[in-house]
Amino acid sequence: MPPFVSSMPPSNGYHHAKADSNIITVDVGGQYFQTTKQTLTLAGSKSLFSRVSDSQLGGVVPFIDRDPELFSILLSLLRTGSLPSKAKAFDIQDLISEAQFYGIEALIVSSLSNPSQFEAFNLEKSLVLPLNGRDSPSAISTTPYGSVHIAHGSKITSFDWSLQRKSTILTQFSAVDSLLAISPSVAAAGATDFSGLQILDLEKGFVKETLNWENATRSSSTVQAIGSSSEFLFTSFESGRRNSNSIMVFDIHSLIPVMEIGHCEIYGAELDSAIPATKLDWVSGYNLLMASGSHSGPSGVMGNIKLWDIRSGKAVWEQKEKIDCFSDVTVSDNLSAIFKVGVNSGEVFFADLRNLGAENPWVCLGDKRKVVNGKKEGVGCKIESHGNQVFCSKGGDLELWSEVLINSSRKSEDGLEDRVFRRNLMGRVKDIGGSRITHMGFGGNKMFVTRKDQQSVEVWQSSVRGF
Amino acid sequence: MENGHSNSALATRPHDRIKLNVGGKLFETTVSTIRSGGPDSLLAVLSARPSDDQNPVFIDRDPEIFSVLLSLLRSNRLPSTSSRFTKQELADEALYYGIESHLKSAISPPPFKGIDASVVTTIRPAADGLSSAFTAGADDGSVWIAHAGQISGYDWNLTHAGTIRTHLEDITSIRRVWPEVAAVGSETAAGLHFYDFSGGRHVGSAHWTDPSDPRIYKARVTALADSDTSVFASFDCRHGENCILVIDKSTLQIESEFGRQNGSSTKSMVPGKLTYLPERNVLLGSAVTAGAFGYSGYIRLWDPRSGEVVWETIEPGSGRSSRFGDSFADVDVDLDESTLFKICSQSGDLAMADLRNLGDDPWVYLKDKNPIMRNTGGAGSSVLHCYRKQVFAGIDGGLEVWSRMEEREREDIERESRVCEGSYRRNYVDKVEDSERGIIQRIEGGGDRLFVSREGVEGIEVWESSSFSGVASVL
Repeated sequence: MPPFVSSMPPSNGYHHAKADSNIITVDVGGQYFQTTKQTLTLAGSKSLFSRVSDSQLGGVVPFIDRDPELFSILLSLLRTGSLPSKAKAFDIQDLISEAQFYGIEALIVSSLSNPSQFEAFNLEKSLVLPLNGRDSPSAISTTPYGSVHIAHGSKITSFDWSLQRKSTILTQFSAVDSLLAISPSVAAAGATDFSGLQILDLEKGFVKETLNWENATRSSSTVQAIGSSSEFLFTSFESGRRNSNSIMVFDIHSLIPVMEIGHCEIYGAELDSAIPATKLDWVSGYNLLMASGSHSGPSGVMGNIKLWDIRSGKAVWEQKEKIDCFSDVTVSDNLSAIFKVGVNSGEVFFADLRNLGAENPWVCLGDKRKVVNGKKEGVGCKIESHGNQVFCSKGGDLELWSEVLINSSRKSEDGLEDRVFRRNLMGRVKDIGGSRITHMGFGGNKMFVTRKDQQSVEVWQSSVRGF
Repeated sequence: MENGHSNSALATRPHDRIKLNVGGKLFETTVSTIRSGGPDSLLAVLSARPSDDQNPVFIDRDPEIFSVLLSLLRSNRLPSTSSRFTKQELADEALYYGIESHLKSAISPPPFKGIDASVVTTIRPAADGLSSAFTAGADDGSVWIAHAGQISGYDWNLTHAGTIRTHLEDITSIRRVWPEVAAVGSETAAGLHFYDFSGGRHVGSAHWTDPSDPRIYKARVTALADSDTSVFASFDCRHGENCILVIDKSTLQIESEFGRQNGSSTKSMVPGKLTYLPERNVLLGSAVTAGAFGYSGYIRLWDPRSGEVVWETIEPGSGRSSRFGDSFADVDVDLDESTLFKICSQSGDLAMADLRNLGDDPWVYLKDKNPIMRNTGGAGSSVLHCYRKQVFAGIDGGLEVWSRMEEREREDIERESRVCEGSYRRNYVDKVEDSERGIIQRIEGGGDRLFVSREGVEGIEVWESSSFSGVASVL
């Protein structure tokens, strides 16, 4: 008789289990495993493992009708918190579905796609996610654990955190211009040629709710930008007749309007108030909302950047951009600075959030002489911040800006500025160049990049983290 | 599904379990897992032996394939180790254990969505690979391809099931009228013929004859359709006279004849496409000719019992419906939604008509603002096919889909208000590279697949949706 035929632990080396109630024995698909109660409780109360440790009390070895090899990998994950190297011999999708069965998918997610594992200096172009059809991505939204939603044409394709599975839904838009994931299966989407902000169920593909802005002319309200904090959903609306614009603040859970900020009605030829915000960034460290918008006219590009205090509904800082207006702007909480890329110079500037009082808060991080040239080198450049770094795209290239921390007493001796930022060109030689970058997104330990006229999404991740 | 398993997963009672010795390797599982394959499966029969027998059941089969199938029974999905075996091996082994329906549901592609589909394979018959017609009638994803005088069958797994040679030299219409019987017709040889696929035999034929008119002679089949009980075939004589014959499916004898016309003008030409509408018991026929002055043709609905024309439209010319110089190039019917669709030959626009409310001018032209579709259309060959509430259009080489947004489950909304011209969105299914392979000749859906054939291109393309992301490494 083989040793595992009996279900009671007899004299086959397992009798210790009875002596010490802390040790749990479990039979998975005909193979015995032993572990401690503490290890199993790490799986959480809702998982199958918690029931395994409960059922041990009867003195009978519980039997789980699953694959023993996959179980051994998941047990290692429970013990150490990370997947053992032998897991590479298995298919990730097998492990995920097995973890879903045991109710411990969250442990796999945090061991493979944890935002704390994001290593900006170690990113390389490693994966490509293809999109069906002929539309190129028009908007992209990521979630903290690395799932990504991509709007292309009238469709939104969602990839799960492991980037192994996808689903596509059809929307009413002819092209989605703004997209923001609110929860894993819910996203807000809007377009500059479509009235209302739609809250979409990405699993079933229907519109859960449509949020509108009641403007004075009672015309349609198109969506120019979407942003969010942990409490609020911000939406920049413009009236269909383009004579008024506003930022609406909704409660992100109930979607009830909370307040309206920055309402502008346009009278006469006052151009500045006619510019709706096209980017909304929440600065959680300062409890401020950064709203920025620009307009390209015959006299060049002009724009404005405002910081809004949500509690009072007032703008606490406003910057009008006339010379070398931003092509794109971002704010970094960790670096306490606003970064822009100039539309004329194509250079990166920063403005210290702790010192915004100055007439011109911008400090140029590149060639200052290019500011006055009329070449428009920065058209189409994108800038995004993530963690302690700022990512800037120039054409098909990606630059990574980071702050060099220098002991303050040494600065004057070395002739350095107050704050030192340096850049790196990202990627290996073969990754450099390509079509113009249209969007960048960050989620989990990955960076997502889309390019003009490419029906795919590039994934940049650390070389050691790839499964 | 997964949660349902987890309740039974923790089996503590020993007699719930079963040990199997497959080809020398021991497996242990629960009786409920083994029985999930169905009461008739070999595994369920094996599990029904007395529970006091502690010896493992011995099965003389390959243990590695068994471990794949055991994973399938446990988790309802195929593990990645299944890629070591061909689909055929898995299917054969699953058939042995009697769990092929489990395997089918695990292997089959997800519901077909035109907005998210790609070519998975191209089926190429070994000889005379230019497919002249095909039929995906069984609705399980299988397809029968007619190429020159042969018919090749491919099963739900797209595995070659067999090829038979018919007496015809060039089959131009084929319809799977019974699971094992194909009706075939040729534009170069007379008559409608029935072939038994499993035996490879000619089992019957039907010819259009008229004792009072000697000119009705050697009539050829141009289009086929079938209902549960009858086959409809349009016959065309050399001098143009044509009609539709109704053939009884069980006796393969001619039941009746209707829609006879002289074929002297486009209004009376033989229908090139027939579709049977079971809900209303009417037959839809259409004929299109492309001449020097553009397209012209008719769409007609017959009641096959009386042979009367229920409704018809003739383009160009009838009613206000035709857009000037932009008559239809193809027509198809969405049976689920009772909607008729036509595609315009010049603009590539799609128009729909509610079958329950056909009048002089039932057409509603669909609008779409998708910017990348702006410069499409233009005089090309157009093919239309409705499948799973989506409308597929092949314009030259490009494959487009018109699909509707999902509706929230709400009963209070009237269907009339849901289906309106603004609710369809137009998208490309294919990429530019795909469209360069050749002009689309025929589109047909079957199971969760879409089959596409192109002019002068060997084989037929198989399009599927997939929930796999298709992620590719570029390191």
